[in-house]
Amino acid sequence: MFKVENMSLHYGEKMALDNINIEIKEKEVTAFIGPSGCGKSSFLRSLNRMNDLIEEAKIEGIVKLKGENIYDKKYDVIDLRTKVGMVFQSPNPFPMSIFENVVYGPKRQGVRNKKTLREIAEKALKQAALWEEVSSRLNESAMKLSGGQQQRLCIARTLAMEPEVILMDEPTSALDPIATQKIEDLIRELKNDYTIIIVTHNMQQAARISDKTAFFYMGELIEFDKTTKIFNKPKYDQTEKYITGRFG
Amino acid sequence: MRKVKKRQVIDLSLKIITYLASFISVIILGAILIFVFSNGSKLLSFKILTTDYNSKPYRLKTTKDVEGLSFTNPNITDAYFSEDFGFAVKDDYTLEGTETIRFVYIDENSPLKTSVNEQGDNEPFKVDFIFDSTMRAVYKDGSTTTIFSKDGAKNVVDTLNGAIKIEAANVKFEGGGIRGSIITTLYLIGLTLLIGLPFGVLTALYLHEIAPQNKITNLLRSFIDMLTGIPSIIFGLMGAAFFIPFTSLLFNNPDMKRGSVIAGALTLVVIILPVVIKATESALSVVPKSYKEGSLALGATKTQTTFKIMLPNALPGILSGAILSIGRIIGESAALIFAMGTFIGDNITITGRSTSLAVHIWSVMGGEIPNINLASTIAIVILIVVLILNISVKLITNSFMKKYK
Repeated sequence: MFKVENMSLHYGEKMALDNINIEIKEKEVTAFIGPSGCGKSSFLRSLNRMNDLIEEAKIEGIVKLKGENIYDKKYDVIDLRTKVGMVFQSPNPFPMSIFENVVYGPKRQGVRNKKTLREIAEKALKQAALWEEVSSRLNESAMKLSGGQQQRLCIARTLAMEPEVILMDEPTSALDPIATQKIEDLIRELKNDYTIIIVTHNMQQAARISDKTAFFYMGELIEFDKTTKIFNKPKYDQTEKYITGRFG
Repeated sequence: MRKVKKRQVIDLSLKIITYLASFISVIILGAILIFVFSNGSKLLSFKILTTDYNSKPYRLKTTKDVEGLSFTNPNITDAYFSEDFGFAVKDDYTLEGTETIRFVYIDENSPLKTSVNEQGDNEPFKVDFIFDSTMRAVYKDGSTTTIFSKDGAKNVVDTLNGAIKIEAANVKFEGGGIRGSIITTLYLIGLTLLIGLPFGVLTALYLHEIAPQNKITNLLRSFIDMLTGIPSIIFGLMGAAFFIPFTSLLFNNPDMKRGSVIAGALTLVVIILPVVIKATESALSVVPKSYKEGSLALGATKTQTTFKIMLPNALPGILSGAILSIGRIIGESAALIFAMGTFIGDNITITGRSTSLAVHIWSVMGGEIPNINLASTIAIVILIVVLILNISVKLITNSFMKKYK
């Protein structure tokens, strides 16, 4: 799905990512792990060009999505973000109704038919395992939901766009264990249809839900392999030290 | 131990200073309110709010001789009744607080009902007419006596005793009301916000969301900051030099060269623009960044994000900017004296001449005899208008916030 070649990212003078090469497969869960400031979130955000928002961010190298370089001048960034959805660290529903939150993306693409929008909302909420909890109060404010529900709503909002890839930036770090488990169950469910890339601080989480794991350290991709391999028999010393909790 | 004592002394003195300062502030603010209300409440009535400023004067005379007529006294308290002429007058005050004589009763068959004006058209005396200087009593032998309004109501009735006619009666429907100025003020608020808010909000959106954040935008920002501090009379000069001729050309109406409501409103737009821009910008800057990121990550364009996420979430801040603007509009006098003129009008149109409550105060105090009571009354009206508008804007904001928070 993604093929990244010799990618580097600078914030002004500071180097955030150094010469990253990675290939991410379709319909798999890929976890990015590493200590704070290692560049894993920066890398995730460069996959849907959210780094464009930071004026001093500068990217070199090639990031291919299905063979097309998304940093090509001709590449439509809006189109990219409809294909590559993103769920953020802390739940960020808009201060609107639950329904309006889910159909926000499709509406901006010009979908106006009320029936279609309702169908989209229902499907997305069902996929995000939220339908049963909110179906009777779609017109209530999304801000009234609990943190875990809000995060699943954000996932539903992303699913409503029918993306191919879902990027998740520490989606459970602001949630309690029960809500976290629900999100993890959901991720396992979603990987049948979507390519999922998740940044996580929680190594157990990476071990539980991901097929492949990438370990970042000081802006470099140290190791990328099957999750079982990374956690049982890492190639590099740094990876092992981090996984066993000796630093990080 | 000694150190602790020193600390206590410092704490206590700081506390005392704080209490004193806030106490004095409250006293000063309260004193202003008490001053305004004690001076103004005397003249405050529903009538002054609904009456025109300009009085309607008449010069009337009766046509029938009153010989042999006699009317029954309706016995109105404090009023003096003329049996021969069948009317009652009493000593009263005008809306502006000056002494006058007021007609309080006129009998159905009174000769005052058939009086004529100088052109000879029928123009009867009416209840609520007040004396405007003098009238003349004519007696049977052809002699006359002039009645002055300053001599009081009793003198009117006494002098008319034995007279057969009234001539050259200068009476008028009372003016001095502030209806026109209230309506003009509301017009100004409406027009100024209608033009100023969209301009200001869109400018702020450009500055905050669209423009590249560099030295030029920062320069622009400090320029806007500077504009908020410029004395408004300078904007008034601009209104007189530019907006008055501009609106006159725009509406193709040479009368508007003497000032108009719309010229005043446009000048006020310039005055409130910096206020609206600043309020909107600071409202935009507190919209959580995560909303914006969420919207962009869902494939919305920058413009869609600006108008669907940033603008609605900045609305409470924009509305508080509107409240500040309303305050400036109502309080503005210096600029409007130039841009709109000081003519106090009664027929209020956008292209016509009239003046706001604040300038009305200026006119009242700037006359030969400053009328502090009337000025205070208008001040009370201004306070009430500000209060009502502030409360309603707050209610709108709250209902908007409640909807989704």
